[in-house]
Amino acid sequence: MATLNIDQRPVEVLAGTTLLAAARTLGIAVPTLCFRDGLEHVTSCMLCVVEDVRTGCLHPACSTPAQDGMDIATASGTVLEARRTALELLLGDHLGDCEGPCTRACAAGMNIPDMLRAIGAGDLHGAIRIVKRHIALPAALGRICPAPCEKACRRSSQDAPVGICRLKRFVADADLASSAPYLPDRLEPSGFRVAVVGGGPAGLSAAYALARAGHACTVFEKSDRPGGGLRAPELCDTLPPAVLDAEIAQIARLGMTFETGVEIGVTRSLQDLKQRFDAVILAWGAGAADLLDPLGLESGPHGITANWRTHRTGDPAVFACGNAVVPGRMAVRAVAQGQAAALAVDQMLRGEAVVGTLHLYNHRLGGALAPDELAAFMAGAAPEPRTEPADRATGAYAANEATGEAARCLHCDCRKPGTCQLRRYADEYGVNPRGWKPAHRRPVEIVRHGNTVYEPGKCIACGICVRIATAAREPLGLTFIGRGFTVRIGVPFHESLEKGLSRVAAACVEACPTGALAAADRRARRSGEVP
Amino acid sequence: MSTPNVQLADPIRAEDLDRILDETGRGRAAVIAVLQGIQARYRYLPEAALRYVCDHSEITPAAIVGVSTFYTQFRLRPAGQHTIRICHGTTCHVKGASAITDALRRFLKMSADDDTDPERRFTIEKVACLGCCTLAPVMQIDTVTYGHLTTDSVTHAVTDFLARQQQTGNTAALPHAAPADALAEIRIGLGSCCMARGSREVRDALWRSLGQLGIQATVKPVGCVGMCHQTPLLEILRPGEAPGIYAQVKADDVPKILRQHFRPRRLSARLRSAAKGFLEQLFTDEAWEPASRHRIDYRDPPIAAFIGPQKHVALEDCGQMDPVDIEEYVRHGGFTMLKQCLTQRTPEEVIAIVRASGLRGRGGAGFPTGVKWSSVRVASGDDKTIILNGDEGDPGAFMDRMLLESYPYRILEGMAIAAYAVGARTGVLYIRHEYPLAVARIREAVARCEQSGFLGESVCGTGFSLRLQIMEGAGAFVCGEETALIRSIEGERGTPRLRPPYPAQSGLWGKPTLVNNVETYATLSWILKHGAQAFAAMGTERSRGTKVFALAGKVNRLGLIEVPMGITIRQVVDDIGGGIADGRRFKAVQIGGPSGGCIPARLADTPIDYEALVEAGAMMGSGGLVVLDDADCMVEIARYFLGFTQHESCGKCTFCRIGTTRMLEILERLCGGTGKPADLDALERLSAAVKRGSLCGLGKTAPNPVLTTLRYFREEYEAHAAGVCPAGQCKALITYQITDDCIGCTRCAQQCPVHAIPPTPYERHAINSEKCVRCDGCRTVCPAGAVVVMSGNRIVKHGHAKH
Repeated sequence: MATLNIDQRPVEVLAGTTLLAAARTLGIAVPTLCFRDGLEHVTSCMLCVVEDVRTGCLHPACSTPAQDGMDIATASGTVLEARRTALELLLGDHLGDCEGPCTRACAAGMNIPDMLRAIGAGDLHGAIRIVKRHIALPAALGRICPAPCEKACRRSSQDAPVGICRLKRFVADADLASSAPYLPDRLEPSGFRVAVVGGGPAGLSAAYALARAGHACTVFEKSDRPGGGLRAPELCDTLPPAVLDAEIAQIARLGMTFETGVEIGVTRSLQDLKQRFDAVILAWGAGAADLLDPLGLESGPHGITANWRTHRTGDPAVFACGNAVVPGRMAVRAVAQGQAAALAVDQMLRGEAVVGTLHLYNHRLGGALAPDELAAFMAGAAPEPRTEPADRATGAYAANEATGEAARCLHCDCRKPGTCQLRRYADEYGVNPRGWKPAHRRPVEIVRHGNTVYEPGKCIACGICVRIATAAREPLGLTFIGRGFTVRIGVPFHESLEKGLSRVAAACVEACPTGALAAADRRARRSGEVP
Repeated sequence: MSTPNVQLADPIRAEDLDRILDETGRGRAAVIAVLQGIQARYRYLPEAALRYVCDHSEITPAAIVGVSTFYTQFRLRPAGQHTIRICHGTTCHVKGASAITDALRRFLKMSADDDTDPERRFTIEKVACLGCCTLAPVMQIDTVTYGHLTTDSVTHAVTDFLARQQQTGNTAALPHAAPADALAEIRIGLGSCCMARGSREVRDALWRSLGQLGIQATVKPVGCVGMCHQTPLLEILRPGEAPGIYAQVKADDVPKILRQHFRPRRLSARLRSAAKGFLEQLFTDEAWEPASRHRIDYRDPPIAAFIGPQKHVALEDCGQMDPVDIEEYVRHGGFTMLKQCLTQRTPEEVIAIVRASGLRGRGGAGFPTGVKWSSVRVASGDDKTIILNGDEGDPGAFMDRMLLESYPYRILEGMAIAAYAVGARTGVLYIRHEYPLAVARIREAVARCEQSGFLGESVCGTGFSLRLQIMEGAGAFVCGEETALIRSIEGERGTPRLRPPYPAQSGLWGKPTLVNNVETYATLSWILKHGAQAFAAMGTERSRGTKVFALAGKVNRLGLIEVPMGITIRQVVDDIGGGIADGRRFKAVQIGGPSGGCIPARLADTPIDYEALVEAGAMMGSGGLVVLDDADCMVEIARYFLGFTQHESCGKCTFCRIGTTRMLEILERLCGGTGKPADLDALERLSAAVKRGSLCGLGKTAPNPVLTTLRYFREEYEAHAAGVCPAGQCKALITYQITDDCIGCTRCAQQCPVHAIPPTPYERHAINSEKCVRCDGCRTVCPAGAVVVMSGNRIVKHGHAKH
C-alpha cells in the first residue's frame, strides 16, 4: 500500500497504482488524451502532468506509480501552465476547423454544414430543427439575408459558394408548407415573466428563445403588427408579407403575447414594465433615439449602453439588443443579438452567472487552401457548379435542386466537434495557440477509405488506434510511420484503412480523442454535434 | 494476407530472405537484425522483401513498417551505387560541413527532394559523426575518406574517387609475414580515425617495404593513441634502441623511416633500395625531407603538454597493445581481476569496492554505479541481464567507439565483473552500426573470450557463466536512453518510457537489468587492480576518478584524452589542447553535446565535475568537448544542436515532438534574418516548458544548448533579432564585399561556383549579392585579404589573409 497526499487530501492505494487512478479515487479529474482504460499506457500527450510538491518536478499522472509519502498537486500554477502549453503546442499544429467558416461567419451561429448534410440526406425535418435552433425566422432571412456565410464558404476557391441562403429558405418554406410545421420543444413553465420591447427581428428572436426556455413572454410593438423592419416597403417584393405572417404565427404557437400599439416611454413607462415583469429586453428598431433620456438608462452616441456579451444595461433587470444599441441593417445580426439577450436573461432568472453566449474554443485552419488541399476537400463533394433555380421568378429551389446544391458542401467543419477532447480541454484551459503556429502550415490531407476518414493533420500521435488494432490482432493494423515531428499513423505497406482496420474501425473512431479518425457517414457525424 | 508461395519480383529471391531469417531467427525481436540483413543484401528495403518476411516469421506488418521507418539506417528507396557520408559532427559543422554539402549537391546536380543524383551514382547521407574531427570537414565515399574539404576540393574528391574506380586490379598489399623470432616491432595505430587519416595505407606500405627490403620485423596494429592530431603514428621498437616515434606519416614516408632503423638484409635489396632512394631524390617535386622531420619524442614540450595532465585509467596502455590479441591482454594482467572476483570475492564485496571508488555512470547523467549495481543485485528474479550501452551518438563524441576498438577485452572483463556482481547470466552489447570496426573487434573478442574460457559456461573454471550477444543499433540517437535502448533490443521502435520502474527493477523483457556505458565498464578492472582508494583519490569530492573526452574544435592539439575529474576547462583548452588555433580568440566550450551547453571563456575555470557543469548550465554528457572561437556564432551553434535533437526526437511526447520543432523554427528565423525581439522571450519560455515537461532525458536536456547560449551570449541573440550576425556566420544576415585592397587578380571570380563575381582583370572586383551563395570561397582564395563579410553595415569578418 502507498499513502500519499493529492491536493492536500490523503489517499491510500495499492502499490503500483498510478497517480491518475489515485486521483480518480478522490474524485479529482486529471485531463488526458492518450490514456485509455484497458490499453497499455504510453505517456504521449503529457496533459496529465501533476506536480510533485517536494521536488517541483512534473510527472505524467497516467504512468507514474503512486509512492508512499508523495505530495501531489494536480492543479498548481505550474501544472496548469504546462497543460496549457501542451495543448497550445498540439493545437498550434492542428490542421482543421472546429466549425465551418460559414458557421463562424453566421452572426446567429447556425450550423450550416449540418443543415446541408440533412438536406443532402433528404431529411428536411432534421434540417429545420438545425436551422431553428438559432434562427427564429428562417423563411424571412432566407429571402433577405446578405449571406455572410456564403462569402466565407471554402467552395468559392473551387467555383462558387454553396447556395446556403436559398437552401435555408427552401428548408423553411418546405416546413411552413407542411401539414405540421416544426415547433421546438419548450421547457416547463418557469413562472417568470419577461417583456420584450419591439416586435422586429431582434425582439421576435428574443421572444422565441425565451418561450423555448419556459418563460412567459410579452412582446410590445408600437405598430399594429409585429415584424418591425422586416415590413419595410422596399422589402415587400423579396419578402412577401404573407410569408412573414406565417412565420411569426408559427413561432407564436410556442405561446407568447403580443401587445401592439404600445410605445415604451410614450404610452407605457419602462418603470411600469419593470414592475410587471421580471426582466425587460429593449429590442426596438431604428428611430427611437429621442426616447433614451426619459428611460433613465445610460446611453452613448448610437444608442443604449449595454454589455456587448450579455446585453445587460446599467439596470440589472433591463437588457438591450439590436438597433436599440447600435444601428445596423443586417437582420441576421438582430436575430443573433435577440437570442443572446434572451440567453442572458434566462441565466439571470435561473440565478446563474450572467455571462451571455459562451463560445466553445473554435480552432481555425487559417490561410487559403492550396490546390492539393482543395482537391482533398473536393473529393468529398459533388463536382457540379452552383445550381441556379429553374424557377427564376421566385428564386426558390426545387427539391432535387436543393439536394444537389447541398451536396456541393466540402464539409470542411470537424466531424467530431462535440466529442473532441482536444477542443474540450482547449476550452477548459483557455488556450491560445497563436504563439506556436508554424510560419508555414503543413498541407491538409484527407484519407477516405470506406466509412472511415483519417486526417493526419488532426492526429496527436497518441497511438490509441494503433494499440486497439494491435490488441485486436488486426492482420495489417496500424503503425507509427517515421519518427519525431513527422511521425504519422498509417496502414503498413500503404494499404487502405479498410484493410488495416478490418475489425475495429468503429472502435478506433470512437476512441480517437480528436477528429483525426472519424466516420464518414452523416448519422455518425451528427451524433458528435455540440449538445 | 498473401499466399505463402508469393512470387517475388526479380531480383528479390526467397532463398536469400530465408537465409537471412535462418541467421537472425524468426521471432518478433529479430526485426532489426532482419532489416539489416535485407539492406546489406539489397542496399535498401524492397517492400516485397518486407512482405515476404511478414509471411514467413512472427514479425507483423505493423512492426516491420514501424521499425523500418524509425531508424535512420534503413532506406526505403533504392540508393545510388556509392554512398557519400558527410560528417555533420560538431567540429565538421563549425568548419563548414553545410557549405560542403551544398557544393556537393550542386556538383552532382541533385534535386532538393532527392539524396541521390540523377544518374543514380551517388547517395548522400548526413552522418552525426565519423569521428575524424581532426580531419574536419570530412566525408567518406564508400570506404575512402576525404578530409580537410573545401567547397572547391570536395568536387575533386568525387573525381578522384571515380578515377580510383576506373583503376582495375587490386592494389591492396598482402600482410607481411614476419618470422616468429623477429625482434623488432613496428606499431601502427589502426583506430577508425587513424585509418581515416591514412594509417591503413601506411600499414600496407610497411608490409610492402618490409618485404622489399627484407626486414625482419613484426607489424603490430595497436589501438588509439589519442594524439589524433599526430596520426598516423608509427612507433618502431628494437631491443637496445630508444623507441622511434613518427607522427603524421604518409605511405610514401615509410621507406625513408625504415631506412633510419634497418639496413636492408640482402645486397640486391640494399642496392635497389639505394637506387630507388636516389631516384626519388632526383625526381620528386618536393624538396628532400629527412625522415627525422616526422620523428617526435614524448619528451618534446608539445607532446609532454598533451600527455602530461592526463591520467589513463580506461585508456591504460594506450597505443601499446594489439586490440584483438587476447594473449597480449592476458600477459598485461588482463582477466586477473575477473578471476580474483570470481574466486575470492563475493558479489557484495565487489559492489562495495565499486561504491567506495565513487565511480559514477560515464554515459552522462552520472548516477552512482555502485548504487545501480546494488539495486539490480537486490531486485527479485534470477533471470537478470546486463547491457552495454554503446549507442554513442552525440555529434563530436567518439570516446566509446575508440574504447571499443582499442580495448575490447578490458570492456568485456568489466562486463563480466559487473555480471558477477549483480547476478546476471546473460548480456547484450548494443553498439551502433555506424561503428563497423568496433562491432567487428568486439565480435572477435567475444569469440576469443569464449574459446579461452573468459566468457560462456563456467567462466575461468568457476560456476559462473555469462552469455553475451551483440546487437547493432540502427541509427537512432534516442536509443542511448536506456529504456529506449531496451525497447530497441526487444525489436521495437526505440521510444523511451517513463521511469520508474527503472531497468534495475524491470528492464529487458521485464527482467532486472543493468545498463552501463562503455567507459564505465572499461574503468572497472583498473579500480579493482589499483583499489577503490586510488581511483577515489583522483577528482573532486563529488566526481571521482577520470573522464575520457573527445577534444575537438578550434584548438591546436585535438585528440582523445583522459583527465582526472576536477581539472579546469582552461587546463584542457590551454595545456592539453595547446590553446586556440589560427591566432583567434577563445570564446566558449561546448560540453556534453546536444544535452550539454556552451560554457563561456570567462567561466573557463569551471572544473570538470558533474555538479559544477550542471550549475553552469551544461552537463558532463558522454564526453564531447568542442572548443569554439570568436568566429563561431552562438545562435547558430544553438540552432545546430537543436536541429540535431529535433531530428532525433522519437516523437512520442508532445513537448519534445512539437516543442523542439517550434524552438528550432524560432532559431531558424533568428539565423535566417526574420527574427523579432519577441522571439527571444518565446524561445526562453518554450525551452523551460520542454525541459520541464518532456518524458525522457533527450527532451529534458534538448533546450540546454539554447538556454546556456541565451544565458551567456544573449547579446548575440539580440543582434540576430536586429538583423546582425556578429560572428559573420549566418548566411541570411551577411553579405560579401570586396574592398579597395583588391588587386584585380580574378582568383575570386574563378573560384566562385555561381559566377557571382564578374572577372575584371586589374580592376577592383564586385560581388553580386543576389547570386552569391555565401560559400566563403572567394574570401579564402583572395591573396590580398580584400574580401570581407558585412553584417548590419559593418565588417564582421576580415579578409582571410589579414587576421
